[in-house]
Amino acid sequence: MTNSVPEFRDCDLLFVIGSNTTEAHPVIAMEMKRALHRGARLFVADPRAIWLTQMAEQHLQHRPGSDVWLINALVHTVIAEQLYDRDYVANYTENFEELANLVKDYAPEQAEAITGVPAEQIRQLARAYATTKKAAIFYTLGITEHTHGTDNVFALANLVAITGHLGVRSAGLNPLRGQNNVQGAGDMGAHPDNLPGVQKVADAAVRARFETEWGVALPTERGLNLNEIMHGIEAGDIRGLFVMGEDILVSEPNVARLEHGLNQLEFVVLQEIFPSETARFAHVVLPAACFAEKDGTFTNTDRRVQRVRRAVAPPGQARPDWQILVDLARACGYPMPDYAAPAAIWAEMTRQSPKLAGISHERLDRDGGLQWPCPTPDHPGTPTLHVGGPMRGKVLLHAVKYRPSAEPPTPEYPLVLSTGRVLYHYNAGNQTRRDRGPNLKFSTNFVEISRRDARDLGVADGELVRVTSRRGQVEVPTLISSRVRPGLVWMPMHNFATATRTNLLTLDEGDPITGTAEYKVCAVRIERIAAT
Amino acid sequence: MAETLTIHIDGRTLVAQSGETVLQVAKRNHIAIPTLCHDERLDAAGCCRACLVEIDGQRRLQPACNWPVSKELRVQTSSPRVQRHRATLLGLYVADHRLDSDGLPVHTTQGNDLRSLAQGIEFKRLLSIDSPRHPRGVDANPYIAYDPDLCILCARCTRYCDEVEAVSAISLAWRGAETSIATAGDRGLLDTSCELCGGCVDVCPTGAMHAKQAPRFEKPEAVQKVRTTCNFCGVGCQLDLNVQEGKIIQVTAPPPGETVNDGNLCVKGRFAYGFVHHDDRLRTPKIRGADGELHDATWDEALHYAAKGLLGVRDRHGPHALGFVSSSRCTNEENYLVQKLARAVFQTNNVHQCAAT
Repeated sequence: MTNSVPEFRDCDLLFVIGSNTTEAHPVIAMEMKRALHRGARLFVADPRAIWLTQMAEQHLQHRPGSDVWLINALVHTVIAEQLYDRDYVANYTENFEELANLVKDYAPEQAEAITGVPAEQIRQLARAYATTKKAAIFYTLGITEHTHGTDNVFALANLVAITGHLGVRSAGLNPLRGQNNVQGAGDMGAHPDNLPGVQKVADAAVRARFETEWGVALPTERGLNLNEIMHGIEAGDIRGLFVMGEDILVSEPNVARLEHGLNQLEFVVLQEIFPSETARFAHVVLPAACFAEKDGTFTNTDRRVQRVRRAVAPPGQARPDWQILVDLARACGYPMPDYAAPAAIWAEMTRQSPKLAGISHERLDRDGGLQWPCPTPDHPGTPTLHVGGPMRGKVLLHAVKYRPSAEPPTPEYPLVLSTGRVLYHYNAGNQTRRDRGPNLKFSTNFVEISRRDARDLGVADGELVRVTSRRGQVEVPTLISSRVRPGLVWMPMHNFATATRTNLLTLDEGDPITGTAEYKVCAVRIERIAAT
Repeated sequence: MAETLTIHIDGRTLVAQSGETVLQVAKRNHIAIPTLCHDERLDAAGCCRACLVEIDGQRRLQPACNWPVSKELRVQTSSPRVQRHRATLLGLYVADHRLDSDGLPVHTTQGNDLRSLAQGIEFKRLLSIDSPRHPRGVDANPYIAYDPDLCILCARCTRYCDEVEAVSAISLAWRGAETSIATAGDRGLLDTSCELCGGCVDVCPTGAMHAKQAPRFEKPEAVQKVRTTCNFCGVGCQLDLNVQEGKIIQVTAPPPGETVNDGNLCVKGRFAYGFVHHDDRLRTPKIRGADGELHDATWDEALHYAAKGLLGVRDRHGPHALGFVSSSRCTNEENYLVQKLARAVFQTNNVHQCAAT
């Protein structure tokens, strides 16, 4: 995120697109609600009438996958009506002419035909956003989980940059990161292209420093991202797998194919806290400590590094993941240092990571969280990015064209399936499924369907139906709801039962740059079970 | 823009910004004014009357929490008149509260601000009033309960539910001595717009709104609080794990103003910690045997088996036949070690995490 969570209560306008904030990031949603209580304006763009739309001035209910059309039409309006920030564009952006030329073809009237959002609504949002200083954009996986996810983000970045909303408190472009430490895991180099500290593997000077630190030569070839690793498993290119703390057989798309691939693997190591779906395929399972049983740090969505502290002992022989990893590396013959505590691991990392060098466990214990970039021990951290101009000098505007989603509906699969989260469960569900409260709210998977589609299919609310995609099928009850429009159905991604996993249906095609799969759009059909 | 001005509290000349309240300026300067209905996250309600002070030019005492500063404002926070008011007010509150054997408002684990006030102020003893406040009907929700006998009607819970969580699931209901906190149609919270965030429990000054699964009247010294970061979504809420005899017995939010979450938590962070001590947790390393089942092993056996298996794949097919899936749920330090394992030990950049899901 360019900005920080505590800034949001002071926003004057919030534009939330592809983020079901009240369910996926409830406490950030509270900050949004506080802004609204103060009188801020809220615009929500989402194919579903999510909870936030109740409080929104406008709900732009665009068709799934039409985001680039919608956002380019906003940019079109801002430029056509001369509402952009001329000084910011002149001083801090590149490629404005090309963008302006491209978006000429994205007039709100045409956008209306493609997105289903009335042209006037698009204009109103464009005007309100461009003319409000403290206007922040929020997005989540509704923007990124598409085969054109990177394009969606570029389109949003264009809108933010040409209206000068960067480097301003309570504004900016704010991707709300999904997991407790998804930001940190990437920062630490759990990324095929990046070494720790967000530094490129391809950079020989960076590699050389880590080679000295670790005492070995490092591989130079490009690594595979998660989507490519999964495809590699299915193709037989990957023959051995190490998995820590992820239930890939719930969270990855097209899991039936992945199961088939996992069956072919020669060796799978799993570090887990519960017997997950993935454990069924592991050759060895190493029991790990959960967050309450170990020390370390997480980095949250606003780049804030915060301490994790041991409060209770792990059960049985379970051990913190970091200790297991040290011993595993040693068992492989590598002299992994004998770290006394996670603070020592952090210190090793920061020695070679300038952006994080000012942060230490000791400082975190004293000062609480610190937001990187934080290069020196006396640096206060960076709550807002791009203050006084973009960090890289100028924002490169990307003129992105609309590309349709990979799997449009057909007569055989006439409905679009989109997926997401519910408030009461978390991701794979291995933790929340074992708690009473979440199960009182949701204990089975379901498919949310519009009244008209349900009527056309002749299914009642709560009736068990078969949802089929080109990859698999599940039998789940319906939830007839006005949240979705006819033609769209929606299912949560959590695991309620092995046979009803939503990701048996989803499409594993990924974005060409990030590899992020198109969880938000695939084609399905729904049939009554009673009739067959 | 805020204007800087000076005001005078108890004879001290203090700097203030226009738009601030008397309470804010007093608090910043360590001048104690009692409050019950005040919470920094909420609009000032001025309803508990505990913070009334004398303001020059005002005939009546006025609430410090809701009185905006103005140039050269003069305020008395502990004049005899203010003290008389507090003694009576507190007497009224105590007369309508559950008392312990010392005649003080009962201690609750989450704290009882009324008890703390009563311990510090000489108050009038009045005849006990047994208000017929409406109790909550049957409520199957597993997390939040309401005890009308401890309620002082400060409305922090209902205002939090309106202003911060914005679901308006609970409300003041009934009239006079029967006034209580209720849901629409007296339904259980599971059947209302409530999202079980537990903010009502967090803001309650007396423990009337309380967590069902937590001890209610324990002494605090038995409970150790460990500040940590929530392990669910990416907001990074700070929370305090309340530990007793090696078990987490409750999760509470740090006070507002200190952390990224400003004292707020959601249903998962506050209540869904049951997984930590769940029977299903993996306790022993396991190796898959020839029968296809996982069997208990020692750490030494499991680690060497894992190392041998991964090295075997590398030797047979090369380092690029290995994939390392790290975890966005684990710590930074652990993610660092996984990529170090992949790169330094196995010589592959095939390492990623579920950044996309």
